[in-house]
Amino acid sequence: MNFPIFCVFTLALSLANAQLNTLVLLDNQVIKETHSSFFKGLQERGYTLTFKIADDSSLVLAKYGEYLYDNIIIFAPSVEEFGGSLNTDTITQFIDEGGNVLIAGSSATGDVLRELASESGFEVDEEGAFVIDHFNYDVSDEGQHTKIVASPEHLIDAEIIVGDKKNIKPMLYQGTGILADPENPLVLPLLTADSTAYSYNPDQPIKEYPHVVGKNTVLIAGLQARNNARVVLCGSLSFFSDEFFGSSVQVAQGGKVYDRSGNAPVAFAITQWAFKQRGQLRVRSVKHHIQGENEAPHAYTIMDDAVYTIEIDIYEGMQWRPFKANDIQLEFVRIDPFIRTTLISKPNGVYEAKFKIPDVYGVYQFKVDYDRIGYTRLYSTTQVSVRPLQHTQYERFIPSAYPYYVSAFSMMAGLLVFSIVFTHCREEEGKSKKE
Amino acid sequence: MLKCLTLLALAVAASASVSGIIDISGKDKQRLLQAITSGFIKLQPDDLDSVYYAAKGFDIMKEPLVKVLIMDSCAHLEYQYKPETSVESTFHALAAWKILKCVGKLENPEITNKFKKALEKPTCTSDVRYGIEGLQLLGQQIPNPAKVAQVLQQKLKEDDSLLSLGNGLHAAAMLGNHGKFAMDRVEDVVVQADEVDGKMLQWEGGLSTTGLLLTGLFKLKDAKALSQNQADKFAAYLLTRKSVQTAKGALALIEASMALSESSVSPVSITLAKSSQVTLDKPDLIVKVSNLLGKPLKQAPSPVVALSATRLADDVVVLSKQPLTPGSAPTEYVLPLKLEPGQYKISLTAGSHTSSIVARVLGPIKLQSLEIGLGDSDGSSAPKMNKIQQPNKVNLQGDSNQNLIVKFSLPRSVHQAYLRLYEGKKEIIFIAEKDNSQLYKINVNLANELTYTGNYNMELILGDSIVSNGLRWDLGSIDVKLTTTEGPNVPTHDVKPEIEHMFRVAEKRPPQAVSMFFTVAAASPLLLLLIIWMKIGLPFNYFNIYSVPFHLGYAGILALYTWFWLCGNMFSTCVWLVYIGGFTFIAGNRMLRNIATDKK
Repeated sequence: MNFPIFCVFTLALSLANAQLNTLVLLDNQVIKETHSSFFKGLQERGYTLTFKIADDSSLVLAKYGEYLYDNIIIFAPSVEEFGGSLNTDTITQFIDEGGNVLIAGSSATGDVLRELASESGFEVDEEGAFVIDHFNYDVSDEGQHTKIVASPEHLIDAEIIVGDKKNIKPMLYQGTGILADPENPLVLPLLTADSTAYSYNPDQPIKEYPHVVGKNTVLIAGLQARNNARVVLCGSLSFFSDEFFGSSVQVAQGGKVYDRSGNAPVAFAITQWAFKQRGQLRVRSVKHHIQGENEAPHAYTIMDDAVYTIEIDIYEGMQWRPFKANDIQLEFVRIDPFIRTTLISKPNGVYEAKFKIPDVYGVYQFKVDYDRIGYTRLYSTTQVSVRPLQHTQYERFIPSAYPYYVSAFSMMAGLLVFSIVFTHCREEEGKSKKE
Repeated sequence: MLKCLTLLALAVAASASVSGIIDISGKDKQRLLQAITSGFIKLQPDDLDSVYYAAKGFDIMKEPLVKVLIMDSCAHLEYQYKPETSVESTFHALAAWKILKCVGKLENPEITNKFKKALEKPTCTSDVRYGIEGLQLLGQQIPNPAKVAQVLQQKLKEDDSLLSLGNGLHAAAMLGNHGKFAMDRVEDVVVQADEVDGKMLQWEGGLSTTGLLLTGLFKLKDAKALSQNQADKFAAYLLTRKSVQTAKGALALIEASMALSESSVSPVSITLAKSSQVTLDKPDLIVKVSNLLGKPLKQAPSPVVALSATRLADDVVVLSKQPLTPGSAPTEYVLPLKLEPGQYKISLTAGSHTSSIVARVLGPIKLQSLEIGLGDSDGSSAPKMNKIQQPNKVNLQGDSNQNLIVKFSLPRSVHQAYLRLYEGKKEIIFIAEKDNSQLYKINVNLANELTYTGNYNMELILGDSIVSNGLRWDLGSIDVKLTTTEGPNVPTHDVKPEIEHMFRVAEKRPPQAVSMFFTVAAASPLLLLLIIWMKIGLPFNYFNIYSVPFHLGYAGILALYTWFWLCGNMFSTCVWLVYIGGFTFIAGNRMLRNIATDKK
């Protein structure tokens, strides 16, 4: 018997438990106070925060082979070396095993954070470099035009990560620029600067081409690794500070006054995303059958009408809920996709596609590969075999073949009649028969 | 935080001044009030302290309270106050009751007893402190202060944590002469302060602990607790905590800064009243010399002198020993900076206090015209330059053998002199190189720098932190023809195009009429035979009844074949054939025998 083979790879699976244990690494205790709104906001959202000084010698990430934390926040831009068992390798391994990290740098980002950033596909600009924008700086700027106003237009086009862009007010940013490889599909520029911005040391004349300039200046970069672990790097620690959260925003030289910056909503949205509270998908079930039947067949025959249904959930508000979208595609693949069709959304997160199996037999896969910005990559394949028609399944009584049928039957009928005539009309009047 | 750090960095040279103020009646008022108001809302049951912090905060800031808030808070106090409430909370409730001027009476003899009991048998130093404060609030004498002092000393020995010490200091200060013993602990307390980055001092436990200890230290009369330097460092810490969010923290911040300001070591704050930037037409830099709260100092420091001003770009001293003239407010002093645009580091002294600040003189930048054109990249011929005036535009057409050249000159150098080429979302930015004579030049090799064909817009961006008017000049467009027409494929996360399977088309068949014609043609010989036989007639002279089974059997075999063709399978056909065939064989044999005997 040829059993169908199901292979469902859903990396997001079995993460139902809240991932809220968070280690917060700080440069010093003062940061805990200057960023208290951010931390308080996280605690209100259910996170358990464990505060540690970044070079604390008792730092451990894992005990008995199990991680103590699901997420790490590194608000220690100037740390040169982590304490305890923490270093770039252990944090990279933590990410490789699905942990999430939020890093905030500054214009004095330490080497260990640079290393960590480059492991994650970003590059932090040189020490002393600030993002400068002589055209979009806040009125409260100290004169170097480094306290820039980041327009919500330059947030990434993904509501799931940053929230609804239209309702976000301009954000304040003061820190260094990040270089992100635009050709790396895993790296997402969550917030970029305006065309007039660049990252350089404000006290030195520009002698070399700045590392990042114009819209390539990434202010907040995100990475969703292949294992769906998420890393967010913000070049400005102040972005998360109480001061920037509560401050009013006005672009100097006559901009509109906003009584409160957009930092807080964006910071929380991005953190929620980074810690997988948003945009996490999973496949609940996959079903497929021939139209009119209920069970999956042992094998499909070419040109059958197949019905494929998949149920997809999204993790929202601490629980799995049906996911709604209209751009999920199903591929029917034998090495190359033979069919790619958009799944039709039904209620309760059920998606359905109906199509005719191709007229080429072989081993196929139903494949749903949903890879959208901000969502975990959903990848589900189900293998089925498609066989050719059985000899009985071909078309009978083709009109073009009627002459052949009639010839054969007339032959048979003729033989029968002839045999009667031949046996019974022979002797007496032999001539009348065939002459 | 960062802002404050930069502020501090500027003040490194100043041995005795802080660079910032906690302006509780101005800029910081709104923020602090917001934090304080949080004490009134979302009250937890049993939380009497928050109400006190909020009420006290409003009281200190002399802000009127909304009636509804007062009524709600009074009701909360009355409802939540219970006999078993701790001494501290009891005092807080009572004090809040008085500050809010609630209607009715919260105090009763039980409370007085509670305070007295706390003084006799306290569990910790805070019991002693709040016992005393409570009794003072009720206008009663402290019974046997000497004994209380003894008990307090006992408690301090048992628990010498910072919190316990802080409350102990407060209690001792209120005991007057009996509290003198606390002077010995002062040094001990100060030593425990942690230094952050060499610029700030704080006690472990954050703002509330630091506030408690600072107010406690200054409450002790005659205590020379802090040196000027230490006071400045504590002030620096308090400045970083301006964005505090809780009512308790905000109150601690205000009380601590008030205590610092009123002390003999009141930190002198030298700040810029408005902004650190002056323009050429408004050159007056206003310096504010005040205490930590932005209020005039008890003794106005004099003279206020700008010792020197140095241009940061080339370290040239442009000004020295210029006294500042008093400004409109008592704390304000005016320094006219009639200087070239640039960044200046100014050393100020106010009495014995020094500070250095960075100020900027902003000036407009003028770009009259520039030259833009295309030249051969191998330099074989002189480039064709167009001179254009602002805000005119040019349209250029280039190909892979050409360079785009832009030249312009500026009266002084700028930080940002960029040429931006953009098409849709793609943009490339080129940086102007400056030669010695303030002449900027941009030379773009079109083939190398622009990877594909397109119509690019050009924009010149000039900006600097000392330029009051940044320039963005749309220079027009350039049409570039290159060998590659498409940019590289950037990975996308978008919807992929749909694919439909092309089914094999069925082979073409002849029209039905043709097949029908040939069907008839194939059937015609048999029909013809039957017709002819019918015409000539057939004599069935050998026919008898024994022939019938054979012919039936034979017809059966043919029928079986037809059935097989239509729907049967080989196995059942074979089985049936054995039966029918056997019958036909015997019937045929019988028939032939009959015919043979008939012939004979």
